Amino acid sequence: MNADTPSISELGTSALLFEAPGDMTLRAQQRIWALAKEVARWTEVREAVPGMNNLLVSLARPPIHCADLEARLHAAWDAVEALALKGRLVELPVVYGGEHGPHLADVVAHTGLSVDEIVERHSAPVYTVYALGSHPGYCYLGGMDPRIATPRRKVPVLSIPGGAVSIGGSQTGVSASDGPSGWNTIGSTTMHFFDPTQDPPALLQPGDSIRFRVEKVIR
Amino acid sequence: MQIDQVEQLSQWLVATDIAVLELRGPGVQIRLRHDGARVEQIEEVAPAAVETMSAQVPRLVAAASSVGVFLHSHPLNDAPLARPGASVRAGQALGLLQIGALLLPVTATKDATVIGALVADGEAVGFGTPLVELEPLDEAL
Amino acid sequence: MIEILSASALATVQDLGRIGALQWGVGTSGAMDPLALAAGNLLLGNDEGAAAIEVPVFPFDVRFTGDCAFALTGADCAARLDGTPLLPWWTHRARAGQTLQLGLPQPGHWRASRAYLCVAGGIDVPEVLGSRSTQLRGAFGGHEGRALRQGDRLGTVALGHEQVATGFGLVPPALALPLQVDGVAAMRVLPAAEYALFTDTSQQVFWREEWKITAQSDRYGYRLAGTPLEPKAAIEMRSHGIVPGVIQVPSGGQPIVQMRDAQPSGGYPKIGTVIEADLWRLGQAPIGSRIRFIETSWEEAVAALEQSRRWLAEARRLVNLQRG
Repeated sequence: MNADTPSISELGTSALLFEAPGDMTLRAQQRIWALAKEVARWTEVREAVPGMNNLLVSLARPPIHCADLEARLHAAWDAVEALALKGRLVELPVVYGGEHGPHLADVVAHTGLSVDEIVERHSAPVYTVYALGSHPGYCYLGGMDPRIATPRRKVPVLSIPGGAVSIGGSQTGVSASDGPSGWNTIGSTTMHFFDPTQDPPALLQPGDSIRFRVEKVIR
Repeated sequence: MQIDQVEQLSQWLVATDIAVLELRGPGVQIRLRHDGARVEQIEEVAPAAVETMSAQVPRLVAAASSVGVFLHSHPLNDAPLARPGASVRAGQALGLLQIGALLLPVTATKDATVIGALVADGEAVGFGTPLVELEPLDEAL
Repeated sequence: MIEILSASALATVQDLGRIGALQWGVGTSGAMDPLALAAGNLLLGNDEGAAAIEVPVFPFDVRFTGDCAFALTGADCAARLDGTPLLPWWTHRARAGQTLQLGLPQPGHWRASRAYLCVAGGIDVPEVLGSRSTQLRGAFGGHEGRALRQGDRLGTVALGHEQVATGFGLVPPALALPLQVDGVAAMRVLPAAEYALFTDTSQQVFWREEWKITAQSDRYGYRLAGTPLEPKAAIEMRSHGIVPGVIQVPSGGQPIVQMRDAQPSGGYPKIGTVIEADLWRLGQAPIGSRIRFIETSWEEAVAALEQSRRWLAEARRLVNLQRG
């Protein structure tokens, strides 16, 4: 990926992946939200799903050649203005460490920070919901302190519980249900993020915010 | 073919709208024509050949219900659906008829014992082609 | 009406998948072999996307509690109805009280691992977010959002008209549309964004070597074993949307192919994507078997999709002629 220009790649013929250039920023994410809104209206597009400064363009039916579609995506990106969504703020109580944070020690080992420093830096910011993905109701959050960034695990864990608060690379998030994960789990919270009988079924959407409140730290 | 069997066929033919009946099988080949007034035998295998073959006239034959390719087994395996000597129930598949992607069963119309296939596996057949010969279990029928 | 007799787990109600819910983190789910599910449905005159039971573990037994026309596609599992052997990829008629037994997938001309039990009208479970597929991670959809258990009773969608024609079948697409390399089942793959970040050696290994499907493989993903794939430098990525078929390579170097219940997003480097048209081949490849990947292009992948559609359309045309 060139630092200045976006890149577009193919996920089979089911989807195109558009990646914004440069550092991961809220402003870039706001432009991704705007791009998603525009692209979702195109007839060949089934769904436009924001990721972390990127956009999955799921295709209803792939065109015989994809060059035209890619060109249109580039043009749309150049044209969009940041969409400054302002949603609601949700506060989540978190128990850090102990059996709820089995990988907190790995974050300590990688960052060189103490448990208390990591907890303080993790719970300080107000995080913006950049995108949903991974599993029903799961929110990808922006705004994590880069000093606690820890690479994804070499071998993904087969199952971590719903409510798990984790760090993967420079991102953080909360699992909405039990399942596999390659992230480092540092704590746990209780919250219902998804109800398929509701419309929309997800509690949070891009533009909402989350704050983690320290309930307990188990060393 | 015995003279009384030809007689029987002729009578049956008269009762129908069919103009030509052609009967083919191991040991028998005969053509009868019905012109509306009478039935005429227009072709038959040489008498000498017929005598020795008449004992081999099959009692029951499962024939192709359509144009297609006759298969001895399901394409997914090599297990013949009708092994010689096997007992089969009425409605049981003796082979398959392939028409493009479609597979139709070639079924036994009665409970019977399989004598054998009359057409090789994978051979194209026409409507009515005899495919499998059987010995019915209940001769009174 | 079907009653599940088997205690073994993992059978689920699936249709062709849940579309349009990626924005809430809901993946498509749906049949691992959508071609087999669609074929079973069209044999019965159902909509292609009617819900059916996907059976990945055998033996598997059910009892029909009502008269029912059904079709069995996917793996040939030596099925028997009250002991009478049934032809695979075929439509049958069951009377109330009869028991259907699915045995182990048979060795033969196609090594397959999943069977589909389709019923006239389709399995009757509520649609959730537009689909009857089971969403295991979110515990909704299908039958109570979970795998089927002994004693579960499933209804079939009532048909307006009565008798559905039975007693015919289809040549499986594995035979009609074969794809193998050096005697091993193969799938076409489109290189993905991080393909160029892998070493030349690793790229060659990816295309030229056999990959074994390990026992840690399921509807979420197939973990493959083979020569480790190495990037030129460590790759740390941002979370981004993915689709079934995406082949991720975590830093251990062993690829994981994301399957129908995969997370709709991920952050591991992607070397390629198994094309949509070949996902059914992979979905049927048994644990322990080996596969090969074939490099393909966008145009070829689109053509492959068209080929599958044509096969289904032709099958539907012939079946409808037969059903009369």
